[in-house]
Amino acid sequence: MGNEAIVMKDLCKDFKVLNRHEGLKGSIRDLFSRDYKTVSAVRNVDLTVNKGEMIGYLGPNGAGKSTTIKMMTGVLEPTSGEILVNGVVPYINRKKNCENIGVVFGQRSQLWWSLPLIESFKLLRDIYMVSEKDYQDMLELYRSLVDIEPILHKPVRQMSLGQRTLSDILAAFLHNPDIVFLDEPTIGLDVSMKAKIRSLIAGLNEQKNTTVILTTHDMGDVDALCKRIVIIDKGQKIYDNDIEHLKSYFGSYRTLRLKLDDDTWEETLIDESKTDIMEVINRADRQKKIRDIELIEISTEEVIKKIYEGEAS
Amino acid sequence: MEKNKRGLGFYLRIYRKVLVQDLKSKMSYRADFVISTIGMIMTNLAGFITFLILFGKFPSINGWDYHHMLFLYAFSLIALTPVQCFFDNNWNLRFMVQSGDFIKYCFRPINVFFYFISEVFDVKGLGQLAFGVGTLVYAWNKIGLVVSVPIILKLLLYLLTASLFMIAIMNAAAATCFWIQGSGYVMVIMFRFKDFAKYPASIFSGIFRVIFTFVIPIAFVAYYPSLVLLDPGNVPLLSWISPALGILFFYLSYKFWMLGVRRYDFTGS
Ligand SMILES: Nc1ncnc2c1ncn2[C@@H]1O[C@H](COP(=O)(O)OP(=O)(O)OP(=O)(O)O)[C@@H](O)[C@H]1O
Ligand SMILES: [Mg+2]
Repeated sequence: MGNEAIVMKDLCKDFKVLNRHEGLKGSIRDLFSRDYKTVSAVRNVDLTVNKGEMIGYLGPNGAGKSTTIKMMTGVLEPTSGEILVNGVVPYINRKKNCENIGVVFGQRSQLWWSLPLIESFKLLRDIYMVSEKDYQDMLELYRSLVDIEPILHKPVRQMSLGQRTLSDILAAFLHNPDIVFLDEPTIGLDVSMKAKIRSLIAGLNEQKNTTVILTTHDMGDVDALCKRIVIIDKGQKIYDNDIEHLKSYFGSYRTLRLKLDDDTWEETLIDESKTDIMEVINRADRQKKIRDIELIEISTEEVIKKIYEGEAS
Repeated sequence: MEKNKRGLGFYLRIYRKVLVQDLKSKMSYRADFVISTIGMIMTNLAGFITFLILFGKFPSINGWDYHHMLFLYAFSLIALTPVQCFFDNNWNLRFMVQSGDFIKYCFRPINVFFYFISEVFDVKGLGQLAFGVGTLVYAWNKIGLVVSVPIILKLLLYLLTASLFMIAIMNAAAATCFWIQGSGYVMVIMFRFKDFAKYPASIFSGIFRVIFTFVIPIAFVAYYPSLVLLDPGNVPLLSWISPALGILFFYLSYKFWMLGVRRYDFTGS
């Protein structure tokens, strides 16, 4: 086993979806029904992730990101293809694989709902058989990166979404896993909580050299954390390269939003390397009254759309 | 980086810790705790009074007199306690499976069934246990059964056996949610069947007797195991081998449950 944390070759996942029926009678009918359709969620994906890398795994809704993570964590069996995580086939050796990974799934907490965070930590320490010293060291590291005292003795059910996400991330790193999967960890959080969580993840990756696979719809997460990004769309990998490479193509794109007199917003995507923004604004101002101006960084979705339109590769 | 193996000792230790923590947090919601305890006592009382009214009238059913019936009733109450105390989370299974929250049980390096079941301990079942023990002692006295160490051990063994059957039934019923959407009905129906446990299986005829013995083994939740104590001179083979059958049924239900986890495709993002 070399330097690879994850190796996937020609990985595919199809779902057979039953057209379900309502009620008890419907349920019984479903038992014998052959009324299936097939959804290809992941198609022929090749991917190698090296130890210590932080990868942004991006794509529009329904692209197959979560499905890929479910295969890497061993809860879903691939339909075909090969996958090795820390040298282990996840689906066949689920428990062994789980020793060395941590997982955060967006808004689903994995902590014991009614227990204070510290008690969840202690249970996790026992479940992963972490030595007392390693456990204390990790808590010490946490304290140095983020203020955990206010949440440590709070039951998870009483936490805000941001506190809960923070807790889940801390819990995922507690046993010092080789790889941590973060599926939309910043979804629904405010700006300051996002910043806190980004710096926490960056700190943990740096201190522990943990491999991080991050999915997100927030380009800010990617900018702050990932050197390399992988983009999938409709289950297929369409981009895999440095974020710098991507920026050289799209860094100059901004979305200009102008608020008009009738309170509507008008949006234009502008390539600053070709067009001067001030000129656009001036031109617009001559035609109609402008009440407000916003300039927005290009979103992941737009980048992906651009890539899909064939501008980057 | 080979870690120690996780054996029975490991699982018992984790279970104890989860349980202690869970009880602590339940106690902190005191009002909730008191109300649910009162609710449980009322439910039991209602069941008991129904029983008295029903069976106080008949001198005997199929050769079972009133106190023998009472014994069977108490036996079933005790045998139904473990499924309610320790396996109550099965009632939440279908909600978690449908919402996708179930996935969290698959990210730990421990047995999924254990992890799921350990999460909930339901104290309400304890009221029923106390009630059952009281009634059993009373019936035991009235029937004039002897008390000795071997007999008490036998009682414990067969009570445990009886509870295994009920646990197996509920495991299997809950696990149907991995295949069908209407699994709530299945669970409710199976749980209702427990009401038949307090009758001697000899009152059921033909096909029902076969079903309640081998398909939905309700007759093992009280009838067969308690014959070992009530009628030691005349114990049917099924009673003797009920501990082995109990383990078998439990094992099969566990395998069925785990099979459900394997084939479940984790809906929800
Ligand atoms: N359990 C399932 N059964 C059937 N189809 C599924 C299942 N899970 C996912 N899919 C389908 O597979 C495709 C990929 O879904 P997936 O959840 O992996 O997308 P995603 O990239 O994580 O999207 P999002 O950004 O919305 O989270 C979708 O079309 C989805 O409907
Ligand atoms: Mg997703």
